[in-house]
Amino acid sequence: MPIFVLMREQTFYNKTRINFIFLGGVLLLFLIAPLTGMFLSLKAPNLFETIKDPQVTASITRTLLISFLATLICSLFALPLAYILARKNFPLKGVAEAIIDIPVVIPHSAAGIALLGFISRDSLLGSAASSMGFNLVGSPVAIGIAMAFVSIPFLINSARDGFAAVPLRLEKAAETLGATPFKIFTKITLPLAKRSVVSGMVLMFARGMSEFGAVVIVAYHPMTTPVLIFDRFNSFGLDYARPVAAVFIVVTVIIFLIMRIYQKK
Amino acid sequence: MFLEIRDLVCKAGDFSLGPVDISLERGAYLALFGPSGSGKSLFLETIAGIRKSNRGYVTVDGMECTKLPPQKRPVAMLFQDYALFPHMKVSDNIAFSLRMKGKGREEQERRVMELSRYLSIEDLLERDPDSLSGGERQRVALARAIASEPRLLLLDEPLSALDQELREDASELLKKINLLGITIIHVTHNKAEIEGIATQTLNFPPPSQF
Repeated sequence: MPIFVLMREQTFYNKTRINFIFLGGVLLLFLIAPLTGMFLSLKAPNLFETIKDPQVTASITRTLLISFLATLICSLFALPLAYILARKNFPLKGVAEAIIDIPVVIPHSAAGIALLGFISRDSLLGSAASSMGFNLVGSPVAIGIAMAFVSIPFLINSARDGFAAVPLRLEKAAETLGATPFKIFTKITLPLAKRSVVSGMVLMFARGMSEFGAVVIVAYHPMTTPVLIFDRFNSFGLDYARPVAAVFIVVTVIIFLIMRIYQKK
Repeated sequence: MFLEIRDLVCKAGDFSLGPVDISLERGAYLALFGPSGSGKSLFLETIAGIRKSNRGYVTVDGMECTKLPPQKRPVAMLFQDYALFPHMKVSDNIAFSLRMKGKGREEQERRVMELSRYLSIEDLLERDPDSLSGGERQRVALARAIASEPRLLLLDEPLSALDQELREDASELLKKINLLGITIIHVTHNKAEIEGIATQTLNFPPPSQF
């Protein structure tokens, strides 16, 4: 091949690379600039006050705890469903998969309105709870339901992909070695899909605790941190909302980093 | 007869196999020889119970197995790529069927040691399956398959994943397993690999006697 053709290809490659780096860099900046700007405009005394503010710490604890419990409880239902979706073909499977993705595509405030109807005292669930002296609306249970509704697709989809990646012949081998279907799931499939399942759980947990739209409609009080950030902004302005947002972002980023490290391990 | 397969028909998608009729004496080593795509794996999976038959019946040592789930059949299977569990060390792989049958830890350990001595894999017990060579994997998979003393062992192309020089050793090993009194059905597309091991050879699929 003549040398000038090679040079032209080389130059083209370099130009393409420079353009791609530039475009990619702009996007990364777009993501990082608002967050950096927020942290730079923080005032140290405000930040320390926020960290010590019992309303903030209580809301963070509440948010993390409810999201964690919602993730754990939902896993009991989500993992069997994910396994069935990964392994079986059945009529209307496509419909089931579409239903699972609905919470991702609908506005979360709309999801909140739908859930409010589902748990209000007029509903079957709400009236059953009410007859036991328990009002679902405005309770931690409502927060958990809203968090679960919007975040469960992340767990189901991640776990389904993980289960599907476990070779079927390993399950068949286990079957010939005397394992019951439940043992096959717990001893072979689940441990081999552990990484995807845990990633899905962490994603669900992280997405659930970040949820604002659906939660604010079913339970303004007790306040989760996203609602508290909105409340402070609405009532007192940006300077009061910013430190709470910064603290919460740090907490979520730490969780996110732990997940990334776990995935890379 | 130790093994009776009568009028067995199995289907996978559009592919249909059978009817197949095979009878086998206890302790026999039957080699089924057939080209790729002739349904050999499907046949073994049906005997093992992983797949349901569409017709016919399978009796092993007087036990009617046709409707039994694989867990309840006295049958073990060696998969073509050995299908070792990658998240368990070698000793746990071998003891898997014993654990599933609820055997105690001591019995598991005793059996694992016994088999690993017999198959010369004592040094591999603490290793991960991914770190083993092809020949070592085959030995481990054989140990795992016979750990709970099946009466019938199904071998799906057991030598095809091995280099030529390892095949001779592996063939000896299969004979050794047969000497334990385990009846064996070995399917392969390579006629050379069953010479000197099999007591009976049939082309696959065998013609129906009905």
